[in-house]
Amino acid sequence: MQVIGEWVEPQSRVLDLGCGRGELMAYLVQAKQVSATGVDLDFGRISACVSRGLSAYQGDMTEFMRAFPDRHFDRIICSRTVHELNDPAGVILEALRVGITVTVGFVNHGFWKNRVDALLRGRKVRNAVYTTEWHESRPANPLSIADFEDFCRVKSIRVARRVHLLGDWRRPCRMMPNLLAGYALYDLARP
Amino acid sequence: MSDDVQAPPAPTTHARHLAADDVGIVQPRDYTHPGTFTFKSGQTIQGFTLRYETYGSLNATRDNAILVCHALSGDHHCAGWHSDNDTKPGWWNNLIGPGKAVDTSRFFVICANVLGGCQGSTGPSSIDPATGQPYGIRFPFVTIRDMVHAQKLLLDHLGIDELHAVMGGSMGGMTAMLFAIDYPQFTKRQIIMASTANESAQAIAFNEVGRQAIMQDPAWGDGDYAREGGPRVGLAIARMMAHITYLSDAGMDRKFGRRKRESAGGESYTFDAQFEVESYLKHQGQSFINRFDANSYLYITRAIDQFDPARAHGSLEQAFAPVQAESLVIGFTSDWLFPPEQNRAIALALLRADKRASYAELSTDLGHDSFLLESADLYALVRGFLERTDVYHFDFTI
Repeated sequence: MQVIGEWVEPQSRVLDLGCGRGELMAYLVQAKQVSATGVDLDFGRISACVSRGLSAYQGDMTEFMRAFPDRHFDRIICSRTVHELNDPAGVILEALRVGITVTVGFVNHGFWKNRVDALLRGRKVRNAVYTTEWHESRPANPLSIADFEDFCRVKSIRVARRVHLLGDWRRPCRMMPNLLAGYALYDLARP
Repeated sequence: MSDDVQAPPAPTTHARHLAADDVGIVQPRDYTHPGTFTFKSGQTIQGFTLRYETYGSLNATRDNAILVCHALSGDHHCAGWHSDNDTKPGWWNNLIGPGKAVDTSRFFVICANVLGGCQGSTGPSSIDPATGQPYGIRFPFVTIRDMVHAQKLLLDHLGIDELHAVMGGSMGGMTAMLFAIDYPQFTKRQIIMASTANESAQAIAFNEVGRQAIMQDPAWGDGDYAREGGPRVGLAIARMMAHITYLSDAGMDRKFGRRKRESAGGESYTFDAQFEVESYLKHQGQSFINRFDANSYLYITRAIDQFDPARAHGSLEQAFAPVQAESLVIGFTSDWLFPPEQNRAIALALLRADKRASYAELSTDLGHDSFLLESADLYALVRGFLERTDVYHFDFTI
């Protein structure tokens, strides 16, 4: 959240895809005086945003973005949501049309602990990040840093900035990120 | 809006109005505007009356007022009871009261019968001072804008400097929308529920069938009829049909199914009402003709059909350009009269116009009338929007 806060320009127009209860938006409104809008599917989360004085829209994020002209938003943030999307490429490409910059943050499934977990236990990864058993989990499409880098290359998306954080999600990871980083943040732009 | 979708069972005690969260016994009042009122059409009347009710009290800074706007067949009586023996409270009594979602211990709530209405406000059934006869269809054509401007004169009279919020469902949502457009400094928040920025062809079509039912009734007499007479058959049919559009297939199935009236035998070979849904609609039609004026029905449905701020301003974004209010738009999944997409369109246009706007959607099977829903989720949403504080809580885990 602090990293995203540093990247966001003051007074800019921000769209938060999968805004949840509006924690990030509330922070950005207060710290950066941004004009923020969030999109989420869940009524209770939208209601929580509304009671915080935030603008939030209940509905599908791709349909929402289709209702806006090119480059309407300065920044579109997709934080910890991308692994739950039906069509991640479609969402990110649409975001690159509607937003000038697109920030994607995700848990690195290639992190060594996840690999060890899968390898040794032969089970669905379970740890502080993946807290639920498979039968109580929503369908997820986990990705690694290597997967995401490959996606950006294949789709000719320009990576303007990237930050890889270690397993504590705070200290920077300076080498072998696909193995050693727990969390990754990317700033994307059109080529 | 239905007469009894949320009506409680007949009271076993006459003390319902004494409940702690009830506004209690309320008295309607009349405001008579002395000056000439010019309608959008250019036609004028010499003064008009609006019947209204208020709940709670205006604070010293005169900024805690909430204007509630009613739907087509609604009126100024949106909360409380008119007497100890009243069998039904105001139509939004579940939402409005001390400690309720629209908290009358914090807010000064006002609701007025619209211009063109027939529940005490000036409309086609009022006496034209020029002739001493009811106006009938000589009453000027009423638009949503005229309703809004007349209500603004009432608010000025009440000494209200700004609206904390304006809110309404269906036509009430249109009224709220136009308040925010025409009085942007004055209107701080708006809640639009089960509404639309322009009716679909289907909705216009239903209104037109209702109007035809009235106008084809010989008793309509080109709008000139005695107060107790008039096109009662036509108005009842219009109401029965419109009422179907306020419900949903699933909701009607749940409420009535194919159940037959007790008086109907197993096999019946008559056209008398056999199914419960038939007698329910008949009852809706009959109770409506005793409280509503057929000409008002023509005028108000016309006003709803013509409402189209996008057309008036070039686009919905341009219409919303002056808006300063924060907006909350609420759609209901089973509403097929003003469906969720039309409510989404309002919120999206506000956002494209760079306004602060939210859209939330409730899953219900009550159809268009869902805005009258008894729902803790709806109450929390409305309360959160009206009472929100700017105290943020931060969770710094990513």
